This record gives sequence, C-alpha cells and structure tokens, in this order.
Amino acid sequence: MNIALQTRPPTISEYYSETKCIWCDGCGNYGIWTAVKYALVELNLHPWQVCLCYDVGCHGNGSDKIEGYRFHGLHGRVIPFAAGAKLANMKVPVIAFGGDGATFSEGIGHLIHGVRSNYPITFVLHNNTNYGLTTGQASSLTPQGQPMNTSPNGIPEQTLASMDLIFSLNPTFVARGFSGDIKLMTRILKAAIQHRGFAFVEMLQACPTYNHLATHEYLLDRYFDANADGHDPGNLQQARALATQAQDRIACGILYQREDLPHFYDRLIPRQGLETTCVEEVRRYDVSEYWKKLV
Amino acid sequence: MPRISLKIVGASGQGINSIGAIIAKGLKRSGYCVFGYREYPSLIKGGHASYQLDVSNEPICSTETKVNVLVALNHHGLELNMEELKQGGIVLHVTPGWQFPEHHRKLIAERSLRVIYFPVDDMLSRLGARAILSNVLLTAFVWSMLDQDIDVLKSLVGETFAKKKGLLELNMRCIDEGYSFVDSEQGATAVALPPPDKSFASHLLITGSQAMGLGAVHAGVRLYAGYPMTPSSPLLSFIAELENKTHMVVKQAEDEITAAQIVSGAMYMGTRALTATSGVGFDLMSETLSLNAMIENPTVFVLAQRPGPATGLPTWTAQGGLLQATSCSAGEFTRCVISVSNSQDAFDLMPVAFNLAEQYQISVIVLTDKQIAEALYTQRPYDLEKAEIDRGRLVVDPEKLKLLKSSDRFDPHAQGGVSFRWLPGSDAATYCAQGDEHNSTGAVDESSLNAKLQMEKRLRKFDGLKARLPAPHLSIGGRSAEMTDWLDAGDEIELLAIGWGSTGDVFQDVMRSDELRGWKIAYLHYTYLWPLRTQELQGLAKRAKRIVLVEQNYQGQLGMLIRMECGLDIPDKIFKYDGRPFFYDELLSSVMERCACASENEANLPGFEYAGSSS
Repeated sequence: MNIALQTRPPTISEYYSETKCIWCDGCGNYGIWTAVKYALVELNLHPWQVCLCYDVGCHGNGSDKIEGYRFHGLHGRVIPFAAGAKLANMKVPVIAFGGDGATFSEGIGHLIHGVRSNYPITFVLHNNTNYGLTTGQASSLTPQGQPMNTSPNGIPEQTLASMDLIFSLNPTFVARGFSGDIKLMTRILKAAIQHRGFAFVEMLQACPTYNHLATHEYLLDRYFDANADGHDPGNLQQARALATQAQDRIACGILYQREDLPHFYDRLIPRQGLETTCVEEVRRYDVSEYWKKLV
Repeated sequence: MPRISLKIVGASGQGINSIGAIIAKGLKRSGYCVFGYREYPSLIKGGHASYQLDVSNEPICSTETKVNVLVALNHHGLELNMEELKQGGIVLHVTPGWQFPEHHRKLIAERSLRVIYFPVDDMLSRLGARAILSNVLLTAFVWSMLDQDIDVLKSLVGETFAKKKGLLELNMRCIDEGYSFVDSEQGATAVALPPPDKSFASHLLITGSQAMGLGAVHAGVRLYAGYPMTPSSPLLSFIAELENKTHMVVKQAEDEITAAQIVSGAMYMGTRALTATSGVGFDLMSETLSLNAMIENPTVFVLAQRPGPATGLPTWTAQGGLLQATSCSAGEFTRCVISVSNSQDAFDLMPVAFNLAEQYQISVIVLTDKQIAEALYTQRPYDLEKAEIDRGRLVVDPEKLKLLKSSDRFDPHAQGGVSFRWLPGSDAATYCAQGDEHNSTGAVDESSLNAKLQMEKRLRKFDGLKARLPAPHLSIGGRSAEMTDWLDAGDEIELLAIGWGSTGDVFQDVMRSDELRGWKIAYLHYTYLWPLRTQELQGLAKRAKRIVLVEQNYQGQLGMLIRMECGLDIPDKIFKYDGRPFFYDELLSSVMERCACASENEANLPGFEYAGSSS
C-alpha cells in the first residue's frame, strides 16, 4: 500500500451510501459490512483509495451500500477480476468478497489458483453455508443430508472440507471471523488488508431465513478468539487443527499467517525494481528493438 | 509476377521448420519476398508436416498448391507429395534405395521431374556430425540449387552459433559439404530465381502472431493473460518471450474464464490489457464479454480462428468465428468486431482496437486465424509514428476529477451514450461498476424508466461507432482504389468479390496475376466487420456484372451479415471449410471461371434483391 498523505482522516460517514440495505433482519451481512467500513477507516483509507470487488449473492447486494470504487461481477469470478485489478495498480488495496456458493462451487478453481498464486489481495468469504439469494439451495459447504430448497432429501454429495482444502494450498494468511463480533472482524480485516499476499478470511455468517442450524446464537455460543487464547498464527499445525475442527468450539481470529513468502507480483522478474504501476505505464512504445532479430 | 515455390515435408519435429526458416531468412536478405506457410497435425513428434515457401522478387502473400522443389525428409513425403510438383520440378530426398511405384515413375516422366537423392547419412558419418546437422547439410544444398551466395548462409547460421565455437566450425563444414554436393545422375541442378530486389533485404520476416504481439506492446498493453490454445498460443509465447524487455505482467491463467476476468479487472483499474484464445476458449470468455458490456469496461479480445465445432481441426485455419464474435454472449449490447488480414494490420490494428474500446467503453473483438497467426510474412518495418493512444473520455486531470459526481459515470444522457470514466485510486467521487442493471452511479435500479434509459445509453454507442468506422477497402485489379472515384466514374465492374481476413492477401495476389490482366475485377475487403457498413457495397453492387462472396467458412457468415444489414443477397460463393487457406492457383481458377461466365452473359446483368432501401 502506498497511501498519499491526507489532510483529513477518513470517517465512517464517508462510506455512507444513500442506497438502502435490503438484507433480511438478522442477516450477518450487516455486521460484516460494518466491520469492513471500520477496518478501512482505521487503516486511514478514504473511499477513493480502495477497490472493493463483489461476487454474486446476498453479500454482493452490498456493492451499492458502501462508498469506494466498487465492482459487482459474475457468479464465482470475483477472485480473478480482483487479481487483475490489483496487478494493474499495486498502489490500491483490493478486497474481494464472495459467498460460499460462488467460492466453493462455481468459482472453486479461481479460489484454488488464487491461494496458490498468492495474489496480493484480500478475499472475504461470506459463509452462511447456503445459496441465500437464489432462495436457499445447498452449497458444497452445507452439511450432507440437510434438506434444502431443490434437495428435499438432503444433498447426496459429501460436504466439502473447506479449511482442509485451503490449508492444502500452502496459504499465507487464514483467518476466521463471526458476523456477530464486529470488533473481532475489524481486527482480522485490518491485518488481512495489510498482509503481504493472498489473505483468506472466512466470515461465519448467520442466515436467519435459510440456515436454521448455524444461527447467530449457535455461532455466538461456540466462537472464541483464538489469539486471545494465546494461539500463535505462526504455528501451522495448530492453525490447521483450529481451522478444521469446528464442531464444538469454533476458533476465530488470525489462525495462520506468514509473510516470508513473496506474493505473485513480487515474483514477477520483469517487474522487479519498477516503481510505476501498469496503469501509469500506458503509452505508445517504440518496439523496433524487439524486431531486430527478425530482419 | 514470377513465383517459385519450395516445400519441405517430413515428420513433425524433424526440423522442417528450421530448414524453412533459415532459407526464408536467407532469401529475404538476398532481396526476395518470401511467404511461408505451415501445415502440421496436432501432435509433437511424428505425423506428416510441411513448410512451404513461395518466393518472388515482387510482393507475394499466398501459397500455391504446386511446387517447384519438394524436399522430403522421409519417405512419407515421397508417397504423399509427388503430385504437387510442377512441370520440370525437383524432388530432393534422403531415403536410400527408394523405388518409386509405377504411377510415380510415370509422373516423373510426364512432368520431366528431376529426382535427387541426397546421401545425408554418408555425409554425416564422413564429417563425424550428429543427425541434427542433416538439416544444415540439406539447407546448404538447397541454397546452392537456388544459386545463392554461400556467405549469406554462413553468416545466418553463424549468428545462431556465434558463442559456441566448436559447433560453429562443424556447422560451417556442413555448409561447405552440402553446398558443394553434385548429384551424379542429374549433374548440377539449379532453380532459376528472378533478379532480386534489394529493398526486401531490410524487411522483417514475421508471423502474424509476432506482428500482433509487437502491435500490442506498441499500443501500450502492459498486462497479458492467456490460456494456451492453438492458434492463439504463439501470441502468448511471443509476449512472454519479450517480458524481460517490455517489463509487462504476463500471466498464464488457469483457464480462459480467468484470463478474461484478469484482463477485465486490469482494464477496469485503468491499464491496457489483452487476452487471446480460439473457438471454444472464446465461448468460456463470452460471459465476461457480457459483464464488460454492462459495466462499460473497455476490453480487447483476440479470437484466433480454427475450424470447429468443438476442438475441430486444432492446427488448421478457418473464418468460422465471425458470427460467434458478433453474436455470442447474453443480452443486447454494443460491441465491435474487426479482423486482421496480414502482418501489416495485425500490428496496426492493435492500437486501433484499444482506442475504439476506450473511446466507446466497449469490448472489441479482434479476429485472426491460424493462417495469419502462423504464416511467415515479408514485412516492411512498421511505422512507429502513426498510431495514437486515444483513451476516450477518461478523466485523469486532478482538477477535473474533483468536479466529477458519482452519477457522471453511467450518466444515461451522456453524448453518444459514452459517459465519463475515471479510475479506482483517483481522488474523486466513487461509483460501482455494477453487473446488475444500475442507475447513473452504479447502484442497482430495476425501475422501468431506468432500465430503459440505461439500455438506450449502452446501445446508442452502436450508432456512433457505426458512423465512425472506416469503409471497407476497395482494390481494382490489385491496386487500391478510392471508393468515390470508382462510384462516380460509373465504370462497370466485371466481377466484384467480397472478402475479409486472410482471404484478402490471396485475392490481391490473384488480381495481380497475368491471367487476369485487363479484367475489371474489384475486391472489397472488410476489416471492420461489426457494426457493418454496407453503403459502399450497395453502390458497387449496382455496377457489378457479377458479384461473389469469398470466405473460409461453410455458411458465408459475412454474406449473412450483409444480407441482415442491407438485404443484399449474394448467391455466388467461393467457400472453403476444409481447414486449408485459399491457395493462389485454386482461387485464381475460381475467379477465372467467373470472368469467363461474366463475358458470356454480357447481356444478362444479374439482378440483386434488396429487402431494404440502400442507405
């Protein structure tokens, strides 16, 4: 991040949008939405300094409920779009948001390659374990056997072990928040945005309309701040155990982080030593040097 | 125009391309125009492949089906390619003790072919050289047959091995040995080339893909994302080879969807970014095309055509992607489809495509095909001064940025439907690039009035774009002609042909042929295919005795668009859809047939039906 000096610090009200919120009462999106604004303000970022990219789903309907340079794209595709945006201008923090449906079904390939590529972006997973916006179908994170819209007998497929998958990809940042704890989410998001590399942030999110199992109260009873309990994010083995074992107590906080690995852009040999961004470099180029060997 | 053709055949991976490339470069440096054409199957080793060079001392940009020299690196060539030899042609082969079957012996006698066995294995063992050097021996012998200066070849090969002294010496001995070989039966054999024209010596030998890559860099493209698929892969390779010099971001994506999204994100942020693919790869990109239409994000996609459906003929050519480019993807929106035709406009059209994309905030699809992508052109060095970088209504001035309102971004009343655009990170009011129908700020708005206004905003660009796109290019008898001169003169056209893409160059060669001298043949070449301008065509059609559509697809896709846009139906068609490009002699005979018919039916002018009035 390269933030220009400000005469006035940013305020929460700068992120205020005239567009009315349309989420269900009790939706976890309200909490996440609020935490995002807090995190950006606390990082001293004005709306014009950030790029927020939204996938399709209930969370994506938040794209016009906040200020900032925003993008609301196609289902499952937010990670590559956000990565392209970031690679073009490394000076702008890019945060991508996606639901569990988009991220672990339609866009799972993008997620895998996003983590593997270690793009320098933040990815926030809105996990309510179902497709809310299309009226409550099972996602690949819905518990097997749970009756849902279009699967009255429960889904026959196994539930995807999402955190096992993430940890198999050699991630550099894994965190988990809960939509009922704005303070915790704000702390996580600030660390994620400042992280060098691909920050995977799972937000466990209540869906009062379609998820009657992992409700706000259910999550409230089980979640805890692992960092407050003394968990060291540098401990891979413990991080993986905390991330994957979420049956009785659900570990939240910054579960895993390493910053010794260069991110995608830092690994690009042609970009090393360059101060400019791709956006700043658009001009007409003399290419005669490149055709010499063709004469 | 004098033309000599030389074809090297053998198994893929045997070195056909290296022989072809070095002879091509040597001839160009000696003052010849060379056009190289490759045929190969979709595999790495084995299979029958060829590299043909058509050579002249005048501009040449097509391939003949008949050749003067056949170089067969294995016996399959002797089995498969003998019919392609011209009268008096030369067959050079390396298969010891080869016995031609009866029908080939007859052919050799009828066409007075000269067959030369080149004892490459004996030479290699005499020189103590490895098998890979057989290509150098053969090249040197061909070079002597073409009666070319041995030093030109030595300096060419020397450039490759300049840093490896031992190898260099061995290569030079191979050149001497191959060059001085004389077949005991045929004696000294020479292929007469016309006198050289030294102006070709400074030209480039370049493929369409390399030309397009240079054009992209010239146009200010700073990020390239792609997924390998023939015939778009050579562009990705070329851009990647240059990355340490251009300092571009190059990403081999996990699929075409990703490539398209990365490029779209990068364009949204404000750089110039490019991707390329083919056929079904473009199907995967098409959802992103629709997205960019809704968020009015300028983007450029290269669609390198090959025959389909499905993976079709992966390493062959076609013009079957025109309707895919003009019609694919959800919703109604303004897009621009243009096609490159050769190495000149593969370069020139890249800045044009990006300018159009940014001026109208639309996607531009640039068509190319396997023929252009992989053919070898003799190309005059490019003019690096003529292209301009025009970013349309992009606002970057800090003072102007301060004045912007969020509602300026998608203002439905913007002139021509093109509203201000400014980039993330700019100190200004922000907006949402919204994939749902939205109001002027990018907030979702499903109201009837808004839906109507925004649809009209996006589609209004079409009219402005259509009015601004250049007219199709007219040439008469192989020379460029001013459309107005021709239309005003009231001359009658004996044959009007219409084509696009790689067809154009072949047609130019055909029109310059001696056989067609004196005929009033007009060729109308479309580069800007969508929106489609038809007024010039309609005017010319009225003066033409006969009109023919020339395309490399089954349905006559340009013809379908022409009929859709202006009602003009062109029943006479010269089509090809076998994966091969139009060959010079083949297209020439198709055109001559029509000329003959035109003169027979002088009295009966064909009538063309118009569904609409000409505009």
